[in-house]
Amino acid sequence: MKKNISTKTKVTWCPGCWNFQILAGFKNYLEKELKKGARLNDFAMVSGIGCHGKIFDYVNLNGLNTLHGRTLPTCLGLKIGNPNLKVFGFAGDGDTLSEGISHLIHAARYNSDITFLLHNNQVFALTVGQPTSLTEKGFIDKTTPQGVVHNPINPIKLMLSAGAGFVARVYADAKQIEWILRKAQNHKGFKFIEIMQPCIIFHKNENFQRMTYMLQEKGHKSNNLNAAMKKAEEFNYEKPEKETKIPLGIFYQSRSKTLEEKYPALEKFMKSGKSWKDIKR
Amino acid sequence: MKKSILIGGKAGQGANLLLHLLAESLVEEGYYVFYSRDYQSLIRGGHNFNQLCFSDSSVSSNESKVDMIVALDETTEKNHSSKLKKEGIILKGKESNMFFAGRIFNILGIEFKFLDKRLKELKSRYNENIIEAKRGFELEAQKIKLSKSRNKGKLYSGSEGITLGAIKSGLDVYYAYPMTPATPVLGELAQRQKEDNILVLELENEIAVANAGCGTAMTGAKTMVGTAGGGFDLMTETLSMIGIAEIPLVFYLAQRPGPGTGVATYSSQGDLNIALYSGHGEFPRVVLAPGDPCEAEEMTNQCFYFSQKYGIPAIVLSDKHLGESYYSIERKPRIAKVKKQHSLKRYNSYEVDSEGSATEDSERVIKNVNKRLDKKEDIFKEAKKFKQYKVYGRKNSNNCVLFWGSTKGAVLDAIGNLDICAIQVLHMDPFPEEIEKLVQKKNLILIESNATGIFGRLVRKKTGIEIKDKNKILRYDGREFFSDELHEEIKRRMK
Repeated sequence: MKKNISTKTKVTWCPGCWNFQILAGFKNYLEKELKKGARLNDFAMVSGIGCHGKIFDYVNLNGLNTLHGRTLPTCLGLKIGNPNLKVFGFAGDGDTLSEGISHLIHAARYNSDITFLLHNNQVFALTVGQPTSLTEKGFIDKTTPQGVVHNPINPIKLMLSAGAGFVARVYADAKQIEWILRKAQNHKGFKFIEIMQPCIIFHKNENFQRMTYMLQEKGHKSNNLNAAMKKAEEFNYEKPEKETKIPLGIFYQSRSKTLEEKYPALEKFMKSGKSWKDIKR
Repeated sequence: MKKSILIGGKAGQGANLLLHLLAESLVEEGYYVFYSRDYQSLIRGGHNFNQLCFSDSSVSSNESKVDMIVALDETTEKNHSSKLKKEGIILKGKESNMFFAGRIFNILGIEFKFLDKRLKELKSRYNENIIEAKRGFELEAQKIKLSKSRNKGKLYSGSEGITLGAIKSGLDVYYAYPMTPATPVLGELAQRQKEDNILVLELENEIAVANAGCGTAMTGAKTMVGTAGGGFDLMTETLSMIGIAEIPLVFYLAQRPGPGTGVATYSSQGDLNIALYSGHGEFPRVVLAPGDPCEAEEMTNQCFYFSQKYGIPAIVLSDKHLGESYYSIERKPRIAKVKKQHSLKRYNSYEVDSEGSATEDSERVIKNVNKRLDKKEDIFKEAKKFKQYKVYGRKNSNNCVLFWGSTKGAVLDAIGNLDICAIQVLHMDPFPEEIEKLVQKKNLILIESNATGIFGRLVRKKTGIEIKDKNKILRYDGREFFSDELHEEIKRRMK
């Protein structure tokens, strides 16, 4: 029996939420892969806790809707368990850069062949609107009546400094998601993809999309780390001004040995198409 | 015949190596051997000592008095000379550890060729070592008379037992973050990666370790993670998730004195409750506590058995004393065959519907909870296939010692010919139901390496029987029980 790509679960994101676009982009990507001959079991997905995490409920892939902050070590474990899996990690900004930031930095360092999508709405939405470590200064909510006083983390800069070999940002638009997943597919190693998706309830930013531009259209070369750093600094996650420009596309791409290529036992599995499960002892 | 030797020095002087090769040679000579390590949380300097006991009959603990002290530094003599028996020998001086090895071998009447063999096995520094050893051997004139022994034991530590148990169960991947006293297992397994085709990884912290462990176990690989109490605390969030997601993961938990950083390089049985009860929510688990390296193999093996069969977390609970002491053991472990019973599917940290997606449906939640908790009954029955507890000594005696884990060695050596029985519980969860009958109307004496008698409370919970405070022999300074002292403590409480 052919497995359906979607589950029967009713989608419970707010009407108009950008997560619908991310879901559509991911499913479009998967469908085309299946048409090309891939099987659903070739893929695995992991999501964390927060609005983004529900994506696991809507896509019929194996994997785990794990704990808050733990998407990346789970992805790593899956990949080490079976290096032939195509592993996709989904996590929000609070999940990734507040609770789970150590895992993110080490994921870049390990360079396991995982595609990681950061749903960045700059707010803890599912807990009704508290600031994350990506929320801009001055943001006010019930828990922070005096407004956020700290600078937000710039995840693109963080990933570039941590040595990530594929660093990209897209807007939460189905076409862009599909496009970047296809680009990422051709890169071996840890792929960090930030998705700008302003929360339509707790972190409205209608102008965001209009402020974006495509890096590659402006002649950005993704093999230059210094240029990538400069581009990463163009948008600092503070409250956008009229002249704010948000670069999208691939900031940086550089191939180095993946974790799976560093361990002979795992490399062997990639050649044989097998995994630990097949080993009889 | 029973002889004790204490070898001490500054960290880095090689007291450890010296005692280990002596222990190996004594085992080869046919003696029963036990030794423990006392070391501080530092790398060079300080004061470390190892204490060894050997005999022509079974021995698995140390005594408070020793027949020989080998002092590689002045502190050893200062700190330990009061332990020396009247006719005991003290060896001291500024020479190297291998010089003393030569002297000790001569004193004990072990032929030099056996020392030579050990030094060859060490590979490094053989040329220097052999000169030193020979010099010591030839200079020595004292003798300790020994009776012959023909035991054919194998010398290994609890950590090596855990390692072997995991390998024999078909371990595929081990994750850990270094923490005393769990680290020796990490080292043992890492050394065996190639020959056993396993993978051992150190990740950024215990949280990553536990979650990567989940990811790998989900793919069907037999997976284990290891840590001590503090690291286990960090893993308990994941332990709880495994409880709902039903992922087969084995935890190695090596205890040391807490709370906090506690006494980092010493031993304790203070973490029984975190093994039994940590993690939010209600879910089944298995907690097994070996008392010697052979049982360490068996309990680790059973953890794999239960976790694979029921999709549950299983915890093998050891401590520094068991993990880092060496025992000569004749018995061969009983290893159960562990089938790989899992493959990748949709797992979830939420309650799930029939497709593995999150649900809040009341009926479904009840169904899921019941399905998980019903496993408890199945596990309880399945566990009867294994030796869940052991009874030693005079089974019909009115006096009864209750113990668990690493106190086994000292307890068995202490009860000797006393009119007493001793019950060791190996399965903490599921707790063997027979214990309730066994402890009725007995004068119960509890022995534990903690301050509050945690196991005693478990016994009370399971049997309704309270052990009197004056009958609790508790040691909580991180040190081992000495069998002679324990013998007196037990005797005083007997009726």
